Amino acid sequence: MKTFSSANPKTVADAVKLLGKGNGAVVGGGSDLLGMVKERLISPDVLVNLRSIPGLDQVKEQANEVVIGGLITLSALAEHPLIRSRYAVLAEAAGVVGTPQIRNAGTLAGNVCQRPWCWYFRNGFPCYKNGGKTCFSVVGENEFHAIFGGGPSYIVHPSDTAPALVALDAKFKIAGPSGERVIAASDFFAPPSKDPARENVLAHDEVLIEVRLPAYGSWTFNTPYSTTKSALRSAYHKELDRESWTHAVASVAVVLEMEGSTCKKARVVLGGVAPIPWRVPKVEAMLEGKRITPELAAQAGQAAVEGAKPLAKNGYKVKLTAAIVKRTLSALGSA
Amino acid sequence: MTPLTSVGKATPRIDALKRVTGGATYTADIQAPGMLYARVLRSPHPHARIKSIDVSKAQALPGVKAILTNQNCDIQWSSGDTRNKRLLFNNPVRFAGDAVAAVAAVNRHVAEDALHLIDVEYETLPFVLDPEEALKDGAPEIQPGGNLSPNGQGKHEPDKYTRGNVEEGFAAADHVFEDSYRTPHINNAQMEIRASMAQWQGDKLIVHASTQGIANCRTDIAKDLKLKPENVEVICLYMGGGFGNKNQCHDFDLMAAELARRAGAPVRVEFTRKEDYTSVHGRWPTNQYYKIGVKNDGTLTAIQMRAYSGMGPYRKGQGDISGIEIYQCPHVERTTSMVYTNMSVSANFRAPAYPQGVFAVESLMDDAAHALKMDPLEFRLKNFTRKYQDRTAYSSSGLEELLRKGSEKFGWKQRWRPAASDTGPIKRGAGMGMGMFPSSLGRSAAILRVDSKGTYHVHVGVTDCGTGAKTTMGLIAAEALEVPLERINVVWGDTDTCPYSVGESGSRTTVFTGTAVVEAAKDLKKQIAEKGLPTGNDFHTASADTNPVLRDFARYSFVVHFAEVEVDTETGRVHVTRYLAAHDSGRVMNPLTAESQVKGGATTGIGMALHEQLLYDKRTGLPLSAGYYHARVMTHMDAPEIEVLWVESEDAYGPFGAKTLGEPTIIPSVAAVANAFFNATGKRVRDLPITRDKVLGVMA
Repeated sequence: MKTFSSANPKTVADAVKLLGKGNGAVVGGGSDLLGMVKERLISPDVLVNLRSIPGLDQVKEQANEVVIGGLITLSALAEHPLIRSRYAVLAEAAGVVGTPQIRNAGTLAGNVCQRPWCWYFRNGFPCYKNGGKTCFSVVGENEFHAIFGGGPSYIVHPSDTAPALVALDAKFKIAGPSGERVIAASDFFAPPSKDPARENVLAHDEVLIEVRLPAYGSWTFNTPYSTTKSALRSAYHKELDRESWTHAVASVAVVLEMEGSTCKKARVVLGGVAPIPWRVPKVEAMLEGKRITPELAAQAGQAAVEGAKPLAKNGYKVKLTAAIVKRTLSALGSA
Repeated sequence: MTPLTSVGKATPRIDALKRVTGGATYTADIQAPGMLYARVLRSPHPHARIKSIDVSKAQALPGVKAILTNQNCDIQWSSGDTRNKRLLFNNPVRFAGDAVAAVAAVNRHVAEDALHLIDVEYETLPFVLDPEEALKDGAPEIQPGGNLSPNGQGKHEPDKYTRGNVEEGFAAADHVFEDSYRTPHINNAQMEIRASMAQWQGDKLIVHASTQGIANCRTDIAKDLKLKPENVEVICLYMGGGFGNKNQCHDFDLMAAELARRAGAPVRVEFTRKEDYTSVHGRWPTNQYYKIGVKNDGTLTAIQMRAYSGMGPYRKGQGDISGIEIYQCPHVERTTSMVYTNMSVSANFRAPAYPQGVFAVESLMDDAAHALKMDPLEFRLKNFTRKYQDRTAYSSSGLEELLRKGSEKFGWKQRWRPAASDTGPIKRGAGMGMGMFPSSLGRSAAILRVDSKGTYHVHVGVTDCGTGAKTTMGLIAAEALEVPLERINVVWGDTDTCPYSVGESGSRTTVFTGTAVVEAAKDLKKQIAEKGLPTGNDFHTASADTNPVLRDFARYSFVVHFAEVEVDTETGRVHVTRYLAAHDSGRVMNPLTAESQVKGGATTGIGMALHEQLLYDKRTGLPLSAGYYHARVMTHMDAPEIEVLWVESEDAYGPFGAKTLGEPTIIPSVAAVANAFFNATGKRVRDLPITRDKVLGVMA
């Protein structure tokens, strides 16, 4: 690794100022960043440590939303009673990231902002993500690459929590040199057609500091699986390439607002198959106003992969994705 | 089998407490005053000529103490290539990861920064990754004389073995089956990272190596550096695994020694995990073609194999492919081409020649049994080897008992059903595989000393690469001396305090060095009987340098594994749900460490069947999956519960009848899982690993 200095700002404003000075990198848990520095995929002059800023790792319930500090560790998030009871999809997603060690160190914001794990990128090939002008996966080893939304880069977004947050209609609070702004999670992630070197809209001197989840009106959160009352049902399903410590080969985040056994509103977001968390509005529309039967779930699974454009070696992801959408919906529908 | 007192008793490793409490000093932990740190610059190309190399900027960096390149160092690394002259730094470079330069500096960061200041101008050359492609006309020549590596007779020809006449065998067959199989390059993936620390004391060189054999390592270092062996001390007190890629000396041992000599200070060379994957060696990839003849009743009449092993650009490993010998058959022909490619180097990895070959052989035998509507167990009971190569009697064989007892304990009759019996999306199936591994006899040595307090010091040149060898030697000594293990003090891991021991490769330590311990113990017991215990500061000393010879017999360990898998045909997930490993390793010295060996070997094999490979980008010739993450090395979550069954056949050779144990454990595991997959789905994957894309591909 190239020699760097380490800064421990006490406020977000100071952190942003440090980043504004030039070649800096934000450190949350550092679990992935340090590896990238070692591999010289990035060579920052200064690492700006956010853990020195107090209060960025809390979960707070406010009037119409639940506010989660970006520095909360993935394991703390996965075990948080409020998140587990009301936003199971997020707790489940956080709970299947990496390994226990990674979840103990890694943060929510870090997971959302994680760089791709494409082997061309991680091995330093001169690809779009490394500042080059090509994507080696297109005619290379693309077993784990995108079947949706690819081009000119075909990476898949590596985050487990990102699809869950998009499915929850979360908002992200971003701090930058001109203050703070709040944007929808779905607007945070940027397709490669916009800028193939990047995965989101954060500027180099901006920091994702907070995630806000809507409180979902007056639903009876304490009995999320009630079939008699309106309730929020949600789940995250991840398929790994071994039993632990891989990013999603394919995943799905499902959030259903139920009234009795009828789905009022649905969010279905795919992970591991596109350069951004991949919402499938057609599937959501199919579910809304209906009872989710196994037959409907199977149809939804098929609809979820409509328009998929597999590369030479990742055609299996189409069948896999259809299967996990079907199964996750079927399980939630009959819960 | 008569029970013994110490041998055969489940005993925790004598160094377990130190290992788990952080008290064990591994090679990378060893510091010396003024020690420098070294890093290696590696080729970014699979094949290139170095046109120029300029180290002046690196040399000028404050803190840089010594730099080695092809320009100023022509040390040969003999054990890095048994056929060609391989230097520490070669030109042309022949694989991505080939060493180009090494820099020693005051700390790691300076050393690494210096690497980035070395200007190398490369002229890239055409490259080839696949062994069969490498043999075609017009393929880039990787070594002078062509890409077919010389055989044992020094000729550029394949290795060949024949008995009978396969054409006669096929003519006598009612059915002929043919198929082809591919297995990838797989890294040994041992836990301990690679390091070597060298320091000079006058003419004497001390190397702290992470090695499976201090004696061989010393001989190799002395040879390549043109030193007297007695002027080289190799020390390895604690070792974190090697699985065959820490045999002999390595280029980094020589680099550390030479950098230390030039810098006039101790030097530690360290590799990253990625370098370990790309630049040391892994299991040789193979392309295998088989044709077998079978009678209607399942009797084998002929086996023909033509195969290609990709050795990388240097002939560091043997490259042979084994598996056929587990079957009795009158007509056999085996042709193996060891081929140079521009992939990472191939050499020893736990039972180097076996899991690849057994995967192929056992897949095809399974298909034959399926076509004949025979239970695969019955097929094997009919055809398993009775004599080595149908000719030489085995000194002992528990193979039939392994098949019978193993299948019973596994529940084969209930678990194995005709292929693809389940109709739902999740399908279960059972599979099995057989294997055998040589258990030769050979030279090793031991020195035993008893002091006046009645403590027995057992000097053995083992390092214990994870097998529990220190403890095993202690148990063998305790048994032979008829004293409790507490009275034994094992001294190991230093060529200056221990006599020659065979390297911990070929699973030979228990048999070879154990025999020497037994012989020395006999002598010592005799001395004590004659003279009583020594007094004061005196010792009685006995040493043995044994080299027993096996006459009229073939000596082998045998192994049968049974696996049950669950295949999710919608998601492509394959999960091992039940596993039984049945082993004949003769008498088991320490059931505790022996079971660990079996579990580790079987788990590694499951990983080879389902996940692991060093994948290459075909356009650039560069590796993509170096490291634990991308290579998909097995995690604890992937390892099933593995049940171990011992069939301890009585064998007249070896210490108390012990045979080889460590390596057989991986041999049939890949085949057992692959056959279980077939039994579950009715589909065969012949190209390892059996990953989701292939699972969903064959199920489509």
